[in-house]
Amino acid sequence: MATREAGKKMIMLKSPDGMEFEVEEAVAMESQTIRKMIEDDCADTAILIPNINSKILSRVIEYCNKHVPTTGATGAAASDTVAPAALAEDLKIWDAEFIKVNRATRFDLIQAASYLNIKGLLDLTSQTTIDTISDNSLEEIRSFLSTKNDYLPEEEQTIRRENQWAFQ
Amino acid sequence: MAMECDDWGDGGGDMNAVPDGVVQHILSMLSNVRDVAACACVCRRWRDCVPYLPALFFPRNAFDAAAVGGGAADEAIGRMVAAVSRLRELVIYCPFSMARLPAWLAMRSASLRVLELRMDAAADKEAAGGGHLDCVALATGLEELRLWGVLMTNAPAWGRLQQLRVLEIVGAPLRDTAITETVAACPNLTDLSLLGCDCSGDVSIQLSMLQRCRLDFLGGGNCSLLLSAPRLESLEAQGFTWISLRGGHNLRRLSIAKSTGRVYKVDTGRLPDLEYLSLRGVQWSWAAVSSVLQCASEVKHLVMKIEFCGDFDVLQPFPEIDLVDFFNGHPKITKFEIHGAMFAALCQKNSLKNLDSRFCIPCLEELLITVRSPLNAEQKLSTLESLVKYSVKLQSMVIRISQMKNCHDAADDFFEEICKFKYINYRKVRIE
Repeated sequence: MATREAGKKMIMLKSPDGMEFEVEEAVAMESQTIRKMIEDDCADTAILIPNINSKILSRVIEYCNKHVPTTGATGAAASDTVAPAALAEDLKIWDAEFIKVNRATRFDLIQAASYLNIKGLLDLTSQTTIDTISDNSLEEIRSFLSTKNDYLPEEEQTIRRENQWAFQ
Repeated sequence: MAMECDDWGDGGGDMNAVPDGVVQHILSMLSNVRDVAACACVCRRWRDCVPYLPALFFPRNAFDAAAVGGGAADEAIGRMVAAVSRLRELVIYCPFSMARLPAWLAMRSASLRVLELRMDAAADKEAAGGGHLDCVALATGLEELRLWGVLMTNAPAWGRLQQLRVLEIVGAPLRDTAITETVAACPNLTDLSLLGCDCSGDVSIQLSMLQRCRLDFLGGGNCSLLLSAPRLESLEAQGFTWISLRGGHNLRRLSIAKSTGRVYKVDTGRLPDLEYLSLRGVQWSWAAVSSVLQCASEVKHLVMKIEFCGDFDVLQPFPEIDLVDFFNGHPKITKFEIHGAMFAALCQKNSLKNLDSRFCIPCLEELLITVRSPLNAEQKLSTLESLVKYSVKLQSMVIRISQMKNCHDAADDFFEEICKFKYINYRKVRIE
């Protein structure tokens, strides 16, 4: 395993499309899935992350880098002098910017967060999805989230009638 | 962009590709019933997640007036509660029929942990007093209960709600015996709030696990509180004439107020951990004031806003207080807010004249003084000077001058003197 300055342990993550990302172990361990692999000693030289392409993986690493709790590890992102409240506020603003992605990327991020078990990222992406549900018509929800309507016409009529009040 | 993602999975980049568990996670963030109902209509997979939702929230305007009147609202609530089989948290702010509540609670008795009901909007309000709250006992695992606008003349027949930790009742006319019995039915409460409740009489509360307690009683009538809570950390009591507290040895915050009428007696026992103390009201008997102050010898933040003293109907000024004794008795005060009458009382005894040279006020950092009368101006000024002189750590002193009759010459002179005092100590002193 590669080791960089001051004994910081590095981990190699590989995406299925052949890209390799060298990240600090602490950053990689933001993912509970990877943490488990490392703790079980299954992470010898490099960890292959199936199902997550390099574009999404690099964004996930970007998120973990920002959210890793140790100070100093990410340079300017987490300095000792910043108060916790200000830091949390800073993170919130950063998150809001981070999640400004198109719908397809967001669903990819959701799946990546779910597979890698990164709670913060899963909550962030889920909440953003939920926000599109409130105050929208059924057709809008279906099109925003590109879900297929698999109700039979008479089924849909019944369920719509039962929930009519929600659409007034 | 979507094309890029499509190469690693079929249908990548839309909700259909997201695994069931994740869809469930996403939808479990919904609680507003309008969103939940809309979701059930989207597709089968979404509808199948509904039973696993943890919470349902019916906002005030969830249904229109016609739906409420015609019973359609009750039908819809019933249908939703029936659909969500793992329901943990039920919050109903919209009008509903109390008579239907037992059936809803019975359906979810195993999973329900949090229940919040607004009953001032209940459709059959007149029936609300008639034992409809008894059904809360059906939810045997209930941990938090919040009731708004309930009428409680008799205690509901709850037996014992062993799991209940949080009880909040807001805006309710209550009878004293009903409170005592209701609380007795919830022996493991850690948080109790009775806010804006109309009550008079004797309230007796014994809770061995209680940590936080807020009692805000309306009405000028006489009301007494007997509270026994050995783990209590924070107590706010407003509206009581007599207060007796047992087991205050862990108490950190204490706030006693009475906006109308008189506080006659406060008996707390020693309060060795008390950090924050606030005493407010129109009239307190001096015995009550001095008893609390004596028990709170370790207090760090003290707020005193009491207008008058006296044991009877006649409003009397405070007796003279020895400033030196006062600060010697409360050496840890860092923040002190003091209003009109009490400040005047602190000024009157001239204990500073022949002072022990070692005297100092060791911890005081912030001081807020409200001055309301130019009487004894000289004494007051000399007290202000002494406070600045002896408070070795003082950072700021704010003098608030309010409601002073400014047509009076004495007031003008006094104000001028205070301004001078401010200029001499401009680093620390401010006038508002």
